[in-house]
Amino acid sequence: MRKTIVMSLLLGSSIFAADYSGVIESPDAKKIIEKDLLGPVKVYTMPSGCITTDPEAIARGAFIFHNLNGEAIKGNPPKGLSKTDAKGKPKQYGNCVACHNVEGAKGGGNIGPDLTGYKASFIDSHARDNQFVYQKIADARVDSPNTHMTINLTTKLFNEREICDIASYIVSPK
Amino acid sequence: MKTGIKIALSLALLSSLSFGGEQFAMSDSDRAMYAEMLENNPADIMVAHGEELLSDMGGDAGLAKYLGVSESELPKYIAGFPRYIEKFDMVVGLGQALQAMMHDTGKKVLKLDSSDMNDMLAYTKSIANDEPINIDVNANQHMKDAYALGQITFDTKRGGRGLSCLSCHSPDVIGTILRTQPLPDLGVNNSGGTWPAYRMTKSNLTTLQGRMQGCMKNALLAVIPLGSPDIVALEVYVTDKAKGKAIAIPGLKR
Ligand code: HEC
Ligand code: HEC
Repeated sequence: MRKTIVMSLLLGSSIFAADYSGVIESPDAKKIIEKDLLGPVKVYTMPSGCITTDPEAIARGAFIFHNLNGEAIKGNPPKGLSKTDAKGKPKQYGNCVACHNVEGAKGGGNIGPDLTGYKASFIDSHARDNQFVYQKIADARVDSPNTHMTINLTTKLFNEREICDIASYIVSPK
Repeated sequence: MKTGIKIALSLALLSSLSFGGEQFAMSDSDRAMYAEMLENNPADIMVAHGEELLSDMGGDAGLAKYLGVSESELPKYIAGFPRYIEKFDMVVGLGQALQAMMHDTGKKVLKLDSSDMNDMLAYTKSIANDEPINIDVNANQHMKDAYALGQITFDTKRGGRGLSCLSCHSPDVIGTILRTQPLPDLGVNNSGGTWPAYRMTKSNLTTLQGRMQGCMKNALLAVIPLGSPDIVALEVYVTDKAKGKAIAIPGLKR
């Protein structure tokens, strides 16, 4: 008795529930997403000598701020920056200008605050300090958990020195 | 597309582009080209090609029969995609339903990323033109799950810059400017009802899933494949935002 029920169930399923998994494209994306997830919020301490008035560092910071990636640029990046990363792929830059206006910005966005006159308004007024700027660029979530800003050090998009270059540019007189 | 809708759409699109200023990427000549294309969408010919391809499988009547609805109910039924289909036991987008039909009618199953499939998908969705989007994300547990997965996928930060879809499409940033581009409201903009669309910047017909892949690529999120449960779920989530808005295929986009 039991056997016949099982048999008919099996038969039934093979007749009615055609298996479309080999027909309909439905690839798994779970692994792709899992590998791509953003790590937890991280607090960083600015390394010593990070913020500098060295024009070469500031030039690199400015370049990272205003450009998207090595594929999109003509000419050479400033000394110490490359168009390609270690794997030979186009190097990603900050594209900060997509969201922020700043001195000399072309097509600056306004998703983030205007960083024009940052030194005078924010640093000289002591509203912010260098460590704040470093942390904001490295991992903006520390003081603003749901921020829409990009995460630049926790994602390893940039290394410490590059974060210092960008921060040096932001707090420099322009 | 009915002329009335076409005109209304063109006015809406043009006015969204007409706030001038060098802030915005579109020049006056771009805008003129855009206006011209609205009168004569280059994708119309691709949609017509899609219609031809579908006619090989019995056209609208064949599709209606395959989906188990009458031909007069077909537009409404199509306006409810992505939907759960018991026979496939999954939530599918239109392209996937077409794949199953190709298989069951003995045709070669086209890949989701093929241009013939894009054309067919665009034609098939255009059958529902003027019909309000009626996706039902509470229709059953499968749709509820897909909606929930869509929301999670939309909100999850990932990729080289730690961004999520929400970073650029949350209510509090809509309308702000990302490098000359005003961030669109995916609901108000009727993203669910205006893709497949002709993309002027790419000179091709792009599906909604393809457009979302474009955002992933631009924002350095790992691109998830067409047809994956997660991107179908994103389509469910984004389409639901435009529920009630009239379908108007092919759309025309930057
Ligand atoms: C996708 C949008 C986006 C991008 C790209 C972006 N930002 Fe921001 N940024 C924001 C938003 C939004 C805020 C405000 C919220 C916050 O403080 O986290 C912000 C805040 C800041 C602040 C803090 C200003 C202050 O004193 O309160 C600094 C500094 C900053 N960004 C620098 C940068 C730099 C440098 C880059 C590029 C490496 C960058 N941003 C890229 C959106 C962005
Ligand atoms: C860094 C910002 C950013 C991120 C992150 C982003 N988008 Fe976008 N998205 C945009 C911009 C800007 C546009 C409009 C560009 C244009 O006008 O061509 C857009 C357009 C779209 C559109 C088309 C709107 C329409 O109907 O015209 C869809 C759909 C969309 N995004 C979905 C997504 C999804 C899903 C994700 C996440 C997987 C995502 N976006 C992530 C910035 C972003």
